[in-house]
Amino acid sequence: MKLDARPQFGKGVKLRQEPGGLAMLLVPESALSLNAPAAAAMELVDGERTLAEIVDAVVEHFEVGADRARDDLVDLFDRLAERGFVR
Amino acid sequence: MNEAPRPLSLLCELTYRCNLQCPYCYNPLDYKTYGDELSTEQWRSVLVQAAELGVVQAHFSGGEPTLRRDLAELIAAAEGCGLYTNLITQGTFLDDAALDALLAAGLDHIQISIQAPDAALADEIAGTVVHERKLDAVRRVAQRDVALTLNCVLHRLNHDSIAEVIEYARVAGVRRLELANVQFYGWAFRNRAALMPTREQVARGEALVDAARARLRGEMEIVYVLPDYFGDFPKPCMNGWGRQFLTVTPNGRVLPCPAAAAIETLSFENVRDRRLSEIWRHSDSFERYRGTAWMPEPCRSCERREVDWGGCRCQAYLLAGDAGATDPACSLSPQHAIVTSLRDGNGETSLVARRA
Repeated sequence: MKLDARPQFGKGVKLRQEPGGLAMLLVPESALSLNAPAAAAMELVDGERTLAEIVDAVVEHFEVGADRARDDLVDLFDRLAERGFVR
Repeated sequence: MNEAPRPLSLLCELTYRCNLQCPYCYNPLDYKTYGDELSTEQWRSVLVQAAELGVVQAHFSGGEPTLRRDLAELIAAAEGCGLYTNLITQGTFLDDAALDALLAAGLDHIQISIQAPDAALADEIAGTVVHERKLDAVRRVAQRDVALTLNCVLHRLNHDSIAEVIEYARVAGVRRLELANVQFYGWAFRNRAALMPTREQVARGEALVDAARARLRGEMEIVYVLPDYFGDFPKPCMNGWGRQFLTVTPNGRVLPCPAAAAIETLSFENVRDRRLSEIWRHSDSFERYRGTAWMPEPCRSCERREVDWGGCRCQAYLLAGDAGATDPACSLSPQHAIVTSLRDGNGETSLVARRA
């Protein structure tokens, strides 16, 4: 997924908050557990923000190693896009 | 005694009534004795209790769940508890009005089954003329704001049509296709000799699915459920007995697996009599095969014991007569010869239709 793409959830994809700042992405016949940065990124998916904006916001908030975190997040979006969970 | 884990998924078998007669149905042979269906209020209570237990997904199935007039109401109730809702239907009643009601209730995902890619074979398998109506339903749902999975159960009669099923799904705009080799429970167990695919069919099918997955990557996801009798290891049935899944039958019995009613050596408790959480945590039927402590050899010392969880308890009961045995589908089972002889069987072709 390109950094200037504006991701939105595919059909039948829902974000569910769990206790402790964790979350699950509920998709057809499965529930994907998300760690805190991934959950924060999913909360920003709205079809308007760009992938770059989402990644910037998460990296800033979690103060994690920026390059690694960026790669991980972009990789997550790529994997979700391949299965049609974001588009 | 093992501490009960958190269940994630509830299968609500709303009714065993159905207008189709598929010989591969997993419903129990005595499904007509399940006439005493739970009321709307009882189902609502089941959904609330399941959400409290930690369940995140509710699957509505049957029989044919759209025959329940309160289906949309139950989906709305599940959504109200924060559950993800999935409807498993054969699609013959999904007209626009029905779809409007289900989507207004918040339905997230619909799975529609077809029997084969062409009407003549599909209707022969279903035992009635319904194929065109199913395709209409697929077209309608594909245009709506709801996830769609197309399901096709594979067996000897349609295994050679896999390429056509994939192509139909692609053209219809289906994002997710489930090709599930028939599993031998209920009516399918009764008809297993005639439904068993040949080794050649299984090998060809796997190659076709692999090629299609590579070709359609990013466009369509293909879920392929392996045939039970052809592998070296059994399926990790339900990801472990009493570990993630529970099923409630039309009359309220709570099962660790949708096929478990066949196990006559277990008695299953009913949501009419006891809280769902107590049944999940403490009932003998859920405790009996939970975890690994119940396992006999060769499972007990097997490095795969927490990979496939001993395979399927129902299959062990149906084939070996002991729900506590290693699944005979496992090549390490001392009773594996039962499976190989069924697999390489005699070419039986007569089918017994599920009777309405």
